[in-house]
Amino acid sequence: MQGTDGHVVAEGLTRHFGTIEAVAGIDLLMRPGEVFGFLGPNGAGKSTTVRMLTTLLRPTSGRAWVAGHDIVAEADAVRRSIGVALQDAAIDPLMTGRELLALQAVLHGIPSSASRGRGQTLLEMVGLTGAADRRVGTYSGGMRRRLDLALSLIHEPQVLFLDEPTTGLDPNSRFALWDEVRKLNRERGTTVFLTTQYMEEADTLAGRVAIIDGGRIVAEGTPEQLKAQVGVPTLQIVIGHGEDSLGAESILMRFGEPAPAPAGAVAVRLEGGASAIASVVRALDEAKVPVEALDLHMPTLDDVFQEATGRRLEGAAESQPLEQAPNPQP
Amino acid sequence: MSAAVAQYAALSRRSLLTMVRQPRAIIPPILFPLMFMALSSAAFDRTTQLPGFPESESFLQFLICATIVQGALFASIAAASDVAHDIEDGFFDRLIASPVARTSILAGRVMGSLVFGFVQAWFYLVVGSAFGLTVEGGFIGMIGVTLVAAMFAAGVASLASAFAIRTGSSEAVLGAFPLLFSLMFISGNFFPRTLMDGWFKTAATINPLTHMVEGMRAQVIGGLDLGEWLSAFSIALGFFVVGLVLATAALRGRLAAN
Repeated sequence: MQGTDGHVVAEGLTRHFGTIEAVAGIDLLMRPGEVFGFLGPNGAGKSTTVRMLTTLLRPTSGRAWVAGHDIVAEADAVRRSIGVALQDAAIDPLMTGRELLALQAVLHGIPSSASRGRGQTLLEMVGLTGAADRRVGTYSGGMRRRLDLALSLIHEPQVLFLDEPTTGLDPNSRFALWDEVRKLNRERGTTVFLTTQYMEEADTLAGRVAIIDGGRIVAEGTPEQLKAQVGVPTLQIVIGHGEDSLGAESILMRFGEPAPAPAGAVAVRLEGGASAIASVVRALDEAKVPVEALDLHMPTLDDVFQEATGRRLEGAAESQPLEQAPNPQP
Repeated sequence: MSAAVAQYAALSRRSLLTMVRQPRAIIPPILFPLMFMALSSAAFDRTTQLPGFPESESFLQFLICATIVQGALFASIAAASDVAHDIEDGFFDRLIASPVARTSILAGRVMGSLVFGFVQAWFYLVVGSAFGLTVEGGFIGMIGVTLVAAMFAAGVASLASAFAIRTGSSEAVLGAFPLLFSLMFISGNFFPRTLMDGWFKTAATINPLTHMVEGMRAQVIGGLDLGEWLSAFSIALGFFVVGLVLATAALRGRLAAN
């Protein structure tokens, strides 16, 4: 398989560090213009994969092509076609944002006449015009990541690699960065390879997701497909105090298997998917069951991860506060 | 080709900028040799009258070239520890993930040190002149001295960068510093060889730094001397070539180890 039809192709990509197999033979196929999410816990092999695809690290075995170029034999051509924002946002704190943009442009062989305007456009895009002439050492974490994003775009790359772009950011900065990535993909058609340990991030941003654990891809597909594979949504209702829970239960059971629920609540696994809610509500209303609260738990990528590995995704708890309501797990 | 030149220039500029913007890192290496110069020219001025002391107007005139070389040594070590910082904090990765020529990563730092060494040497000459220093070789002699200093600064920067690239640790670079520092002292740089004795004299005579500083000094205390200058410059150039070979090998090693 060659790589012109897909922007990023990997075949049996493997990397050992001594006896440790950090990446154990992965296959990837990313199409032009898509946002591909690479989801996994710390140490799963995400960064090692990115470092190989961005020519920073040589594979022990296997091959890969980025934008049609072999990552080993045509490393320089790969470097010209990609933008890279690595995990630590390696940005010289002593230089200003504008200086770094100018430097990055020179590194990519862009004449300074062209880079000035492009730098300004990028600064506007990531909302850093006000801070452009301040040293990066004074930037907040979110500002650094946004500058890093701008830096990786100076040469208008075909493929953008973002290695954990929002790790360590507060929610607002995270959402702002998500917006940038979406806009970039929508308006410029840039292909984005994004690694993350936050399932919410993969879920919201990525059109397709590969879940990696222990150097192996354990699941791959659109977030919807993946979540549909692990099961159906669970609906939980809290009924009015002192009401007959049996009546409510018998109605709910018409829509699927019962699910464990705390006292005063009844839960069901909706066989018909989330769209069955309307019917459930109608049925409850007809039977005059007083409902105090209604809670729908959709399967998450964390459930997908658990299904595939038997473990929970690290850091999932912080990234998904909305899903932490006392819900029964399907 | 012009793109490559622009890359060299931009990386040299960055190297200089980051040096100048870290006053805490760059002022001590400039001031310490100056202080040492002030103290010892006050303390040892009368030693110039000792029989066998090279004919010089003042101890300052004798010492100035050692001060210049010491300053170049200090500043270039600081610059090389910045190379290690670049590796530690990932800036190096940013560079190698771009299609920039591999050598310019190194050349930028080395060029930065060359320029810095040149300017720094002039600074010491100007300060020295304010305290009565005369350079017998005149303006051309000063240019000769500062050119050697610049080449030596580039040499030390590349030697120390080789170490920085190999270890990837700024602490290791600063830790290796005493080695070069003792090389500086076991020499005829701070005191004339003619007044030395025993093993120290032998060591000082073997030390190439002795001959480099003596060649520079000839321009200051004697007058223009092309032969002496050439010997000084070729020693500095030798440092540079050895440093560059080692640093290039280290860079290649690091890139291949990936």
